[in-house]
Amino acid sequence: MKVRWGALTLTAVLALAACGAETEAPTAAAGGGGGGSLVWAVETQPITFNPQLWGQNKARLLVHNQFDSLVARGKDGEFLPWLAKSWEVSKDGLTYTLHLRDDVTFHDGEKFDAASVKANFDQFLAPGYNPAVAAVQLRNFGRAEVAGPHTLKITLKAPDGLFLDFLSSPYAGQISPKSLRNAKDLKAGGVDVVGTGPFVLDRFTPGQEVHYKRNPDYGWPPAGSAHQGPAHLAEVTYRFLPEAAVRVGALTSGQVQVIEGVPATEIALIKGDPRLKLETSLNSGSAFSYYFNQSHPPFDDKRVREAFRDAVDVDAVLNSVYQGTAERAWSIIGQGSPQLYDASLENTFGNDPQRAARLLDEAGWDKRDAEGYRVKDGRRLTVRAVNSAPFVRDRRDILAQAIQAAVKQSAGIDFQVKLVDQGTAQKAYDDNQYDVFENSRGDTDAGAALNLILPKGAAINRTHFADAGLDRLLTEASASSDAAERKELYAKVQKLVADEALLLPLYVPADQIAYSASVTGLTFEPVSGTPNSAYDIRTGT
Amino acid sequence: MSTLTLTRRRGLAAAGWLGPVARRLGSGVAVLWAAATAAYVALLLAPGDTVDVLIGDGLDTPERRAQIIAEWGLDRSALQQYGDYLIRLLQGDLGHSYILQRGVGDVLSSQIGPTVRLALAAAVFGVALALVLALVTAGRRSWTNGLAGLSELVAVSVPPFLIGILLLAVFSFSLGWFPVSGDRGSAALVLPAAALGLQIAGVLGQVLREGLERALEEPFAVTARSRGITEWRLVTRHALRHALLPAVTLTGWFTGVLLGGAIVVEAVFGRPGLGQVTVSAVTGKDMPVVMAIVLLSALVYVTVSTVVDLAYLAIDPRLRRSR
Repeated sequence: MKVRWGALTLTAVLALAACGAETEAPTAAAGGGGGGSLVWAVETQPITFNPQLWGQNKARLLVHNQFDSLVARGKDGEFLPWLAKSWEVSKDGLTYTLHLRDDVTFHDGEKFDAASVKANFDQFLAPGYNPAVAAVQLRNFGRAEVAGPHTLKITLKAPDGLFLDFLSSPYAGQISPKSLRNAKDLKAGGVDVVGTGPFVLDRFTPGQEVHYKRNPDYGWPPAGSAHQGPAHLAEVTYRFLPEAAVRVGALTSGQVQVIEGVPATEIALIKGDPRLKLETSLNSGSAFSYYFNQSHPPFDDKRVREAFRDAVDVDAVLNSVYQGTAERAWSIIGQGSPQLYDASLENTFGNDPQRAARLLDEAGWDKRDAEGYRVKDGRRLTVRAVNSAPFVRDRRDILAQAIQAAVKQSAGIDFQVKLVDQGTAQKAYDDNQYDVFENSRGDTDAGAALNLILPKGAAINRTHFADAGLDRLLTEASASSDAAERKELYAKVQKLVADEALLLPLYVPADQIAYSASVTGLTFEPVSGTPNSAYDIRTGT
Repeated sequence: MSTLTLTRRRGLAAAGWLGPVARRLGSGVAVLWAAATAAYVALLLAPGDTVDVLIGDGLDTPERRAQIIAEWGLDRSALQQYGDYLIRLLQGDLGHSYILQRGVGDVLSSQIGPTVRLALAAAVFGVALALVLALVTAGRRSWTNGLAGLSELVAVSVPPFLIGILLLAVFSFSLGWFPVSGDRGSAALVLPAAALGLQIAGVLGQVLREGLERALEEPFAVTARSRGITEWRLVTRHALRHALLPAVTLTGWFTGVLLGGAIVVEAVFGRPGLGQVTVSAVTGKDMPVVMAIVLLSALVYVTVSTVVDLAYLAIDPRLRRSR
């Protein structure tokens, strides 16, 4: 009797374990007559699939499968037609007239026209929808008016050189007016928040995968696409595999055909495998840098800031941590933003321990304590970094340890790094209890990043640097839409920041993808440097 | 025996149950209340202003601050907020996830299924493996015993993360027997359940074998042997019952292993489930979700320990009378 009970329980448990498992048609790896399917393992599951609430650089590669923006970017950062065929900007820079395509339909059958674009703009003004975008990217937005069935007039309150960048960003991804009104969960996005893109999101299993099927009616790719008409792939699945080693294993065993986020330690293995290919692209925006808080000692003394910058052999440190896979940065703007990057700063500072020692001697830090750290008035030369653990990626904790060793050895600086939770980090920032602040931002227009970091009182101006001249340069550069003028203004900004030794630029964040050699058409978005949508991808031959 | 006496006896037996059950349920509710309160106080004491925490690295403007304060009712006193929170809990309202922009109840209910399946499969796997190992090796002073002990030690000391990667490397990447990720049928459940179940098998196996060996040296074993019973029958029919008691006591511990381990295992195998929700809620300081998960774990513990205690009562009538 008892034995039977045990057996019954066991069967019940097994049945329970099996009953929830979904049955699913196997996804063929190689392309067949239907155009093939592809499985792509990605590191991060997006918080939202709504492009207008998008905020994670790592989720960018998904957005343009489902949604098209109004404007595209070309290889040199130029603006190209997409859902807007052309546009005119009035002389005073206040009125943008968009001429929209008239052959576009949303996945739910709604017509794409001037009224639907206006509905999308108006949505941003809805309270609580996306207050961050409403207050930053759209701070100069006045109103949108329907000037014809496919003509939209946008009036700005002040000229804004970043407005076209906004029109080319995921934020300008067009959502069907019907889903704006009726979606079950507009903020989370998903199956019932639809766009006009080359793929239709038809299945999302949180924590597991998101599945897209081809939009057979698609015929409006951005200018600069490798082909026209519907996508090559019949379906594409993005699987969420947060563990890097697991992603690589899934690729080498053929369970997925593409992976994103290749760890430096696996790069040699992938390069050595003839069945696989690897590609890297630098991200746009600001470089990953250590910003010096110059509002109190020791970094209120420019000599100490310069000494810290000179004390590190950045190339050697990057080599040991990233095994030659990281691109060294020289400026607050990374080389991933060639439109604004000032290359003349290269090799103008750094790796000069003698100069570091001289500067520190001059600044009064000329004695040493028993442990070899420099001392002044009985106080050790200590600089603190407080980092919020959830934001530490790319082995930046290891990088910090390497720099810690370098500045101790070559300059006697006691660099202390604390990894804490977000609340504790925020408190340290609020109380000004830190000396080093590490950050990089992936904005497509690096100017947007600088507007958050550099002006007096800006949201993440954690150096507390304030300079009226610098603020003027930034305001001018933000208002201008003349490429040459902006480049010149931002060159001045970068020079000023370097001369002030406000930061130690370390490396330019990059995206890596590795894929099976049978996959073609994988590209990176030219400006952001993040992987493109699956529109041009083919599998097989 | 008259019908009356029988009824009275049944009534007495029921009364014997009633007290302990009521006490158990009462203390279960008290534990849940304590957990809810502790989670709330932890949130209050956590460094940093709640508004700062909710803003994170995002845009920090007076308007946004005002909006967050209004949305969360942060301008009221801590006691008022605590009262509201308890009332909402009693109404079954777990609040709204700040990061996922969805109801917490909705988030949890959509993710609980895969985790329950994983935990049950791991428990079945772990218990079955432990039973087999213990029954086969107990009482035999041979190399199998030593080998079993060694593998149990390894299973206990290697973290499930590493076990998971190793299992994947061998059975998925090299041999291609099982898929790497997802909640797609029983094949995909095998490796994660094994990664999670091995730890349970390790500890449980050791406890069971020691219990069996102790039982086999008891006088009743000698008596049974003298009656000519086979060794296998002695182990399975008699000694196992004695060995099971300490093993049952471990149920609470292994509920913890299952809950904690599921977080890691789900991440390694790319499975849906509560694990990922927990990790992103903790790293993102998504407090409503964190608190709901604290409550859920407390509820699971309370339920498990209540059931275990009641099972003891069922097994051993003396416990009923002594209370």
